[in-house]
Amino acid sequence: MSLPEHAAPVSFEVNGVAHSLDLPRETRLIYVLRNDLQLNGPKFGCGLGECGACTVLVDGVAARACVLTLKSVEGRKVTTLEGLGTLDLPHPVQAAFITAQAAQCGYCLNGMIMTAAAFLSRHPAPTLDEAREALRYNLCRCGTHVEILRAVMLAAQAMGAGSTAAGAATTLEGADHD
Amino acid sequence: MTEPTPTPSALLERTGTLAILRPSQHVRGLVPTAPPPEGALDLFLFLDDAGAVMAFNGHVDLGTGIRTALAQIVAEELDLPLAAVTMVLGHTGGTPNQGATIASDSIQVSAIPLRRAAAQARHHLVALAAAALGVPADELIVSDGVVHPRASGSNAGISYATLLAGRQDRLMLEDSVTLKPAGDYRIVGQRVPRVDIPAKATGAFVYVHDVRVPGMLHGRVVRPPYAGVDAGDFIGHSLIKVDEASVAHIPGLVAVVTMGDFIGVVAEREEQAAEAARCLKVEWKAPPPLPELKDLAQALRANPSTTRVLADQGDADAARAAAAIPMDRTYVWPYQMHGSIGPSCAVADVRDGQATIWSGTQNPFPLRLDISILLGIEEADIEILRFEAAGCYGRNCADDVAADAALLSRAVGRPVRVQLTREQEHAWEPKGAAQLMEVKGGLNADGTPAAYDFATSYPSNAATTLALLLTGRVPANNPVFEMGDRTAIPPYAYDNLRVKAHDMAPIVRAAWLRGVSALPNSFAHESYIDELAAAAGVDPVEYRLRYLHDPRAVDLVKEVAARASWEHHTAPRQEVVDGDVVRGQGFAYALYVHSKFPGYGAAWSAWVADVEVNKRTGDVAVKRVVVGQDSGLMINPAGIEHQIHGNVIQATSRALKEEVSFSETAVADKEWGAYPILTFPEVPVINVVLMPRPDDPPLGSGESASVPSAAAIANAIFDATGVRLREPPFTPERVRAALGNPLPPEPPAPPAKKRPWFALAGAALAGALGMAAVALPIRGAIAPITRPDPASFSADMIARGRQLAALGDCAVCHTVPGGTVNAGGRALETPYGTVYSTNLTPDPETGIGRWSYAAFERAMREGISRDGRHLYPAFPYTSFTRTSDTDLQALYAFLMSQAPVVAPTPEAKMAFPFNIRPLMAGWNTLFLRPGQMQADPARSPQWNRGAYLVESLGHCGACHTPRNLLGAEKTGAAYLAGGMVDGWEAPALTALSKAPIPWTEAELFSYLRTGFSRFHGTAAGPMAPVVEELAALPDADIRAMATYLASFSGPVPADPVAQAAALQAEATASLRPLDSLGGRLYEGACAACHAESGPTLFGVRPALALNTNVHAARPDNLIRVILDGIPKPAARDLGDMPGFRDSFDDGQVAALVRYLRAKFAPNAPAWSGVDEAVALARANPGSH
Repeated sequence: MSLPEHAAPVSFEVNGVAHSLDLPRETRLIYVLRNDLQLNGPKFGCGLGECGACTVLVDGVAARACVLTLKSVEGRKVTTLEGLGTLDLPHPVQAAFITAQAAQCGYCLNGMIMTAAAFLSRHPAPTLDEAREALRYNLCRCGTHVEILRAVMLAAQAMGAGSTAAGAATTLEGADHD
Repeated sequence: MTEPTPTPSALLERTGTLAILRPSQHVRGLVPTAPPPEGALDLFLFLDDAGAVMAFNGHVDLGTGIRTALAQIVAEELDLPLAAVTMVLGHTGGTPNQGATIASDSIQVSAIPLRRAAAQARHHLVALAAAALGVPADELIVSDGVVHPRASGSNAGISYATLLAGRQDRLMLEDSVTLKPAGDYRIVGQRVPRVDIPAKATGAFVYVHDVRVPGMLHGRVVRPPYAGVDAGDFIGHSLIKVDEASVAHIPGLVAVVTMGDFIGVVAEREEQAAEAARCLKVEWKAPPPLPELKDLAQALRANPSTTRVLADQGDADAARAAAAIPMDRTYVWPYQMHGSIGPSCAVADVRDGQATIWSGTQNPFPLRLDISILLGIEEADIEILRFEAAGCYGRNCADDVAADAALLSRAVGRPVRVQLTREQEHAWEPKGAAQLMEVKGGLNADGTPAAYDFATSYPSNAATTLALLLTGRVPANNPVFEMGDRTAIPPYAYDNLRVKAHDMAPIVRAAWLRGVSALPNSFAHESYIDELAAAAGVDPVEYRLRYLHDPRAVDLVKEVAARASWEHHTAPRQEVVDGDVVRGQGFAYALYVHSKFPGYGAAWSAWVADVEVNKRTGDVAVKRVVVGQDSGLMINPAGIEHQIHGNVIQATSRALKEEVSFSETAVADKEWGAYPILTFPEVPVINVVLMPRPDDPPLGSGESASVPSAAAIANAIFDATGVRLREPPFTPERVRAALGNPLPPEPPAPPAKKRPWFALAGAALAGALGMAAVALPIRGAIAPITRPDPASFSADMIARGRQLAALGDCAVCHTVPGGTVNAGGRALETPYGTVYSTNLTPDPETGIGRWSYAAFERAMREGISRDGRHLYPAFPYTSFTRTSDTDLQALYAFLMSQAPVVAPTPEAKMAFPFNIRPLMAGWNTLFLRPGQMQADPARSPQWNRGAYLVESLGHCGACHTPRNLLGAEKTGAAYLAGGMVDGWEAPALTALSKAPIPWTEAELFSYLRTGFSRFHGTAAGPMAPVVEELAALPDADIRAMATYLASFSGPVPADPVAQAAALQAEATASLRPLDSLGGRLYEGACAACHAESGPTLFGVRPALALNTNVHAARPDNLIRVILDGIPKPAARDLGDMPGFRDSFDDGQVAALVRYLRAKFAPNAPAWSGVDEAVALARANPGSH
């Protein structure tokens, strides 16, 4: 069904820049971010909201851009991996992922970082188990989970709330780690 | 970070440069490539006078970090800082052909010439410096690319860049070059951060998925129904017809391309291509059935094979016959997926007999040959630019999609980017093959092994690039590869040993997956020796060490056992942790021997796995893995540790969870619910033990740590339970079965099909109307008028009419998807045939432009068109008739003030006798109760306002009231008691509602206002647009409707919040995410957005334990939401739900529906007829 307002361009903000795009409102956000705005951070993984590789923030809340439509982001603020931080000025979560070397192929990395950033903004001092649950529905096939969890706990620490986080991080690999 | 793609010929033309070259070699690998041209040279290393250092390697980085490790090797030999070296990997136009990136060989084999080249360059540059400085070469040292005398600390140094000024030195790679002694290493052996991660963490890295070239179009492919099967006469010959008209409506469509069984679409925009691929109607021949793959052992025994004897020493037959305890064992490995997180993607530009392909291939040179065969152009005219992609671990669809893109680009003459869908990647990736390992052997009376007669069956080859088969360029003749022999020789000194490989062709499309055939073979070796140890009453580690004579293996086994605090035991301990939970420890060891038999070893690896098993539920948790590895010299210990973590996690996932399932004809698993992988909460603690061997050559580390995995876990389960599992994955079902626990009851068998109710209705209606019709006249036309001037209506009146039109949902039915509002033409499926909504715009010929108010009012109140024809009661005039005069006038004003649109209404396609419109007169006599709504003075004004809105223009009863056999709304107690519309159930709004928490005014208000009620769920199907339209009404009207509707509801719940929490908690506690297909589908596909404890995601989180559809009397709505999602949510705060029509087959939908019903509506009876309802819903998608 096509209602009158659908003819008007869709306005929303991405990484602080206002956009007004003349596209159907049922267009999935990921195509617009990647192809119209050339933002490569969000990755197409499943198109079903299962794996999380496409995660962006919508008004600060994690969202799966492969299922979200333009209609849902109309008038809202979208943040992608590029908007979180840059090579020169990375967000603390990005910096923690770099420090912890939390990528192999890195295809899932966007989702891990964006989900972690949204999670830490609500739970600044998580336990390790809470971090595991927060990332439960983000899939990684390379098996980078250990480094990713370490990065999340490091980020929590760096963002200033982390004595429990630091303690928890050591239980990831036990004392016997080389 | 962009992939560097320099061209060697351009580099070599420059002066001020040094290059190390080698004659191109003909690589005869598993994947054949053509010989290089005569005299061709490969560039290995390039330095220039500006300080650039580029090193070239034909292998690619699969996310394992070899880009960093290779740069370390080059920087070390050249005495340069690591950051000074740029690695160029895997471009056919720029790097040496070193074959496919397989078998953990990049560091162990491919790096050797590169290291020599770097050393040779260093010697050459030092010699130049010696001449320039007048100092003997052996008195010079190099630091950070500056050569200077060892003695002086002065400024006498001279840089590589300076030394190269004006030179054009071209050296052929020498075979013997003095390499730097390991003791002098500064960079190799250090934990070095990977060079690619900062860019990957900030979105600056360019994967192949991110490649965009000017003029690029987007393509998608449509694959045949024999998903994941690539051998047989029908391959490439199954297409019957492509209906291009079925996608003609899609904007931006450029081409539909068909060649044999290859079908692709090309469009301007990616979502247009995706939509075209989804909509394209294709007719295929039915594929032939697959062999029964539920019993893999039998399927592999029945698969034709030839036998190779790999080892035969002693007398295995006689020794086994003489064994005190004969022990013949069968081990079975399932089909598994590579499971790349990113569906494969490529960009191709094929024009004027030349091809450039941007690809994430693992095998750039073999791919170039494939493209050459596919397109019929010379390899020299094809360039493969290799870009990083999602991790691959063997062979995913990267090559397939490159070939697809090439075909589509050639067809349209422009660059085309193609990405596969998740479903295509899952279904078509060449699977890691199933494998059968059969051991005949036994134990002597003294506890020694009697014999080990081992046979392995591995149905896999290289999986020919798909487009070659689909187009018929290459026959689908299923070649047999000799690859089942990896690590087939056990590591233990069995006196009487025979090892056989039954070489066989694939049954389904299969190729190498991490730990190629070695992981399954080692699963058998390491399980069997554990079984021997248990039978002999000896500790498993001690027993292994008696027969393990490789000193590095012995060191590793002892070290790992010590670091894991291995608990000596001679029988399964079955140690109780708590209640039903028992724990155990298991050991396994392997040297991963790979490549053409007899092959050679990569790194050594050993595992100690600690598991906990719940004996009642069958759940297995791997709590900790202590994993040791001897990789020789470790180039980058951090990289090796990372690879070990990855191998442990991926292999644990494979052992516990992973098994491809098949329909009768094809791969069934098309997303992560059906084929789940390990998640964060399931990841064990991993302790890595790295063996320091700095003086031994570096060994491949990409796969080794996966090889002992499954056996270590099976051995731990044995220690925990005393039960031996010989077939992964170790799912709760398998564990319970092995423990002899009763299995959950099977779902009830579907009952016999019944005749649909509307077939009965049709017969009855035919009779009733047949009698009624003759007595009734056809009504007269009302004279046409000239369209009234919109200016004759007040703005207020028009605005009010607009609101009333929204209340009446006019636009919902009178607008085709994507069409002009209220211009009609939407098909409405009824049990009696298809009617089309009319054009409500004031166009004089095709719309209502010539309708007087009287004509409009008659239509609204009596269902008679201006020309006197009867309208079908799909148009709810039986409700509209109750509207007040002033509201009807306002509605007329609004409709007449719209812009006129020319849009003729298609003829209705009704079955006899319903196609005789005058018969509707009889129907009206029976069921139309004309007259405006009268207020009930006993009720509040708000209730009366609500009643008016609901019963007149709101026409809620049109959907929510059941209809009689003649299609009329029932009355009395049946009012709002639930109905069916367009295949959707409109639930009862009365006390008959099945909602676990009765509706209240507050929740009705929330639902009608926002499209969501926390206690009931989200507006979906035909209700979503209704709520969307209601947005035009003020809160007061919505509140009034809620007040009225709530008066039909059951008793108000005392504490709905507590009740909701209790229902959710009960459901959550009952979930079994690894148990049963339904459980896995829920966890993988639904839980991220629906689980009570799931991540906070944009939009609402509908609780299925409270959801009306899950508690309904029939499964239709649940099935429809699963199939088609909620494509157009009622409001922008809700979030979007995808449909799974193309991701689940009918059996999967039915399994999920049954699981949801059982878990989230535990007190409701199981639904019957689920399978039929799924099939019906799939075949009749409806218009919502």
